[in-house]
Amino acid sequence: MSSVREWSDDAGALRRFGLALVRDDRFVFDDVAAGVLIDKLFRQASLTLVDCPDGDRHAARVRAFAQFVRLYRRHARRLAADEDGGWVETPPGGRSSGSAAVGVRSLPLELREALLLVVLAGFTHSEAAAALDLPLAVVVDRLGRARARLAAHMRTARDAAAAWPQSTHLRIVK
Amino acid sequence: MTGRADPAETLAYVDDCLDPEARRDFEARLKADPELRRQVALFESQNRAIRAAFGAPPRGALDLGGVANGNGARRVGEATRPADGTPRPAGAARKRSAAKPPTARPGPAAPGPTARRLVGLFALAAAVLWLGLPSVGARPPAALVAAGVSAARALANLPVEFVAAEASGPRLALAPPLAPDLQLVGARLAPGSQAAATLYLYENARGERVALLVEPLDEVAPAAPQRSEIDGLSVVAWTGAGYGFVAAAANDADVAALVVAAGADGDSLADAGAQRR
Repeated sequence: MSSVREWSDDAGALRRFGLALVRDDRFVFDDVAAGVLIDKLFRQASLTLVDCPDGDRHAARVRAFAQFVRLYRRHARRLAADEDGGWVETPPGGRSSGSAAVGVRSLPLELREALLLVVLAGFTHSEAAAALDLPLAVVVDRLGRARARLAAHMRTARDAAAAWPQSTHLRIVK
Repeated sequence: MTGRADPAETLAYVDDCLDPEARRDFEARLKADPELRRQVALFESQNRAIRAAFGAPPRGALDLGGVANGNGARRVGEATRPADGTPRPAGAARKRSAAKPPTARPGPAAPGPTARRLVGLFALAAAVLWLGLPSVGARPPAALVAAGVSAARALANLPVEFVAAEASGPRLALAPPLAPDLQLVGARLAPGSQAAATLYLYENARGERVALLVEPLDEVAPAAPQRSEIDGLSVVAWTGAGYGFVAAAANDADVAALVVAAGADGDSLADAGAQRR
């Protein structure tokens, strides 16, 4: 049987993953709203899981994350449909910060969930493929695209920050 | 050997998904290929940045080399920059003026020997209190204890919403702690101090209910188990790993068994004193 400490570690990791996943700066803009949504999805993910063998903590962990991802996908699809925009992959515009958090939030959902599962939740590529219900090759492809986009985002933000003082003109008012 | 790695293999190396032999092969190629090293360094820096941005514990030791080198390079650049009077372009940072030699200012007088002794005695007393009395350390939030007691009083004897012994249908996949003398009955949702909480319910040999409230908490400091008696219930509360825990039952033995089963340090149970409402 897994101890409550292990359970807490897994639940903490799921919560961290959830907070990173749902804060997309499109539907969820701040940590308070993200926390409310997380509580709802987290409760559903932890209580609507199907039976798994006792002691198989590993399978339970993958299943909990998979359930969370499914619930959030459904939630995001519903929001996108309500907005009459369909499933939009375009990240929000505006001046972006060079932080990793902003870069991750600007990624489309399918890239974000793969990257966060592997980097933040510590899943292997195979586990991430199982949790996302996708072939391994697709997950690896998404990871590569996510990392390339993230690198491009951070490079662009860095270049913009470097160019910023030269492009700003202060007018002297006597 | 070409030194050109498959992108999938590079990702697998960075994400620690290669078996030891493949990892050794990859590292051999890594030594010979500067472009591959640059790619791996970029991915690893992304991993560190993402983990740091979203509060995940870092994997392995922190790499402070980059920070130290960056600071060193910056200092070298500052030191070798000419201090002439060339005009500054618009928008450029204002130059620092030359540092003035420090002038002696009459400061407050240094504390005398008596004041130093008093400060030392105070620090010693604080340390003794901190170490000698566990109840003086971090405590679980009072609101958490109140939520646990309220949930135990209101819900412990009601039918559970999620039955532990059900062979089919939804089950609790994240296993609650199991004490040897307590039978897990199931769980209910309960209001916590800040968010929705799970109330696990057990029964002892006499059929009396024992409740364990588990609530996710943000930014909570770990606190050792604190025992108290509230409204005839024996209550133990503690926090850790981002969660608050409150165990409540009619007798101490059941609560203590649950605390031990939950992995908390039951030996250091601090008595918060009887609290009568």
